Amino acid sequence: MPHFVRLILIAAAWGLCILVLHEERHALTTNAPAYKSPILPLDAKGTPPSPFYKEEFINYAQHIPMAHVASLAELPDGTLAAVWYGGSYEYWPDVTIYFATQTGGIWSSERPIMTLQQVEHDLGRPLKCPGNAVLMANPDGSLRLLFITIAMGKWSGSQMNSCLSRDVGATWSPVERLTLSPLFNFSELVRNRPIELQKQARSDNDWCVPLYQEFIGKFPELLWLKEDHGTLLSTKSRVVGGCATLQPSLVPLDAKRGVMLLRDYTENKRIFISRTENAGISWSKPVPTNLPNPDAGISGIRLSDGRLLVAFNNSVVAREKLSLAVSHDEGKSWKILVMLDNDPDSYSSYPFILRTSDGMLHIAYTYTGNAIKLVSFNEAWLVEQEAKITTP
Amino acid sequence: MSTLLIHQLYAAFAPWLILSFLLLGRNPHLSQTRIIVSPLLALGLLLIPIAGWNGFAWSRDIEMNPSFTLTALLSIGLCKRIGGLSLLRSCDWKTACTFGSIAAIVLYPLGLGLTPFDSYPWGWEPLLPVITALIASALLLQGNRFGIILLLPLGGFFLHLQESHNFWDALVDPIYTGFALIAMIFMTTRAGIARFTSRQTPQSALPQS
Repeated sequence: MPHFVRLILIAAAWGLCILVLHEERHALTTNAPAYKSPILPLDAKGTPPSPFYKEEFINYAQHIPMAHVASLAELPDGTLAAVWYGGSYEYWPDVTIYFATQTGGIWSSERPIMTLQQVEHDLGRPLKCPGNAVLMANPDGSLRLLFITIAMGKWSGSQMNSCLSRDVGATWSPVERLTLSPLFNFSELVRNRPIELQKQARSDNDWCVPLYQEFIGKFPELLWLKEDHGTLLSTKSRVVGGCATLQPSLVPLDAKRGVMLLRDYTENKRIFISRTENAGISWSKPVPTNLPNPDAGISGIRLSDGRLLVAFNNSVVAREKLSLAVSHDEGKSWKILVMLDNDPDSYSSYPFILRTSDGMLHIAYTYTGNAIKLVSFNEAWLVEQEAKITTP
Repeated sequence: MSTLLIHQLYAAFAPWLILSFLLLGRNPHLSQTRIIVSPLLALGLLLIPIAGWNGFAWSRDIEMNPSFTLTALLSIGLCKRIGGLSLLRSCDWKTACTFGSIAAIVLYPLGLGLTPFDSYPWGWEPLLPVITALIASALLLQGNRFGIILLLPLGGFFLHLQESHNFWDALVDPIYTGFALIAMIFMTTRAGIARFTSRQTPQSALPQS
């Protein structure tokens, strides 16, 4: 190769490198994230001062054999939105993602928003079925849906997708695939509540989404999403590696500190906890808590007085005895408060906690396998439950 | 042209090249008919719908982001197989295998959760394109033609030809790195055997007293 050709090619390499670096997508950074307003005032927007507790079903009809993995989001106008997937059974091609909203305390009838055929059409490739989905209510009123589709095999063969609705879920943008894993983009799953971040310069919406892999290892990760004038930019960071914990539930304590509650895949049969001091950039080694976990989903949240609340299955053998526990010391120790559900004929699992701007706490979960149940209560009810167990 | 169509057209290239290679067979003396028919037959086979989707769609289901390095190496390999045109020398191919093997070792064990550290996010940061430009420059200075191949991931990534926004996917993929690792193991084993036999040969050749 002549010397001058080499020099021209080297110049081309650096020219291309500069063009690549100039690309907007490299503006995405996790250098200085901060959780947005993790602490809500106790009586925001007039929370009823007396204990309040309500149970209801989100999917009234329950006409399908299976409904699972519910997720909630509050729209800027206070409307509560829910998504879940349902069908004949997990992995079946008729699995569909359903959507419903609650206005004035009444849930709309469920509506299919994502079928296998639609995702296949948008992505231009054959797929096995859709699966877990979470909603993110953007401050501009739009709703972003993150959901997985299985390309082959079971959950380990799943890949992440996204779409956006600007009309409260009536219509959705074409599905786009997020490439998040190096080996055929396999095994990136979502399940728990995304956390809104403080807005960075030149961005529309910033989110931190708990993710997990369950392919060769089972471990938690964080997906960092930034929406910039309609373009979704993503990157991710590792919480811990290995093959022990999954389905993280991220609970911010303040703008920088947070804890992550983890489903246990080991023989410990305990909920694990990890901590961050820099808004999720680095995490401590997960340690077991005193709460049991039968290899089932959990969900945690911070209450207005700083206590932590977790919904979990109080069992080491089965997805039964769905319960609530609180921690007064940021997750070091936990006190079991109340059992929400214990149907001996079925199971109650995969809770998803959301705290709305009126101070109410909502827990959506899978009930008897084909129903999505919603429990709503206020913090006064929690205080009452705690008083019951501490007062003989 | 829509973004999805651009991604699909690019992703179609690698499976067509691979199938064309396979259909050419191992016979070193290719007839003119076979040279013409094999790529056309590969195209035809990939267009046959199976369960409602053609072969290109099924290949996208598995690998939507064939790396630009793999596509270039396959194209060069096919040129050599069909026309005897050697664009890369033996030393360039060795460099391609070494690069793919090192990338595989750096990327996959960490990316799949072996440690708390993940190397895949490097692909969303400026570091990896800079490292690629540095390696390409070093190789080009030495006259190694694999340096030219490394310009393609930079160009392809800039043109958004792939679905992925991660530079790792422009640079390597499991097919390329898998072949590179197998080739490296094969080359290392062969070199080891050759070294062993060369040590043995002088001893056996000693004149017996």
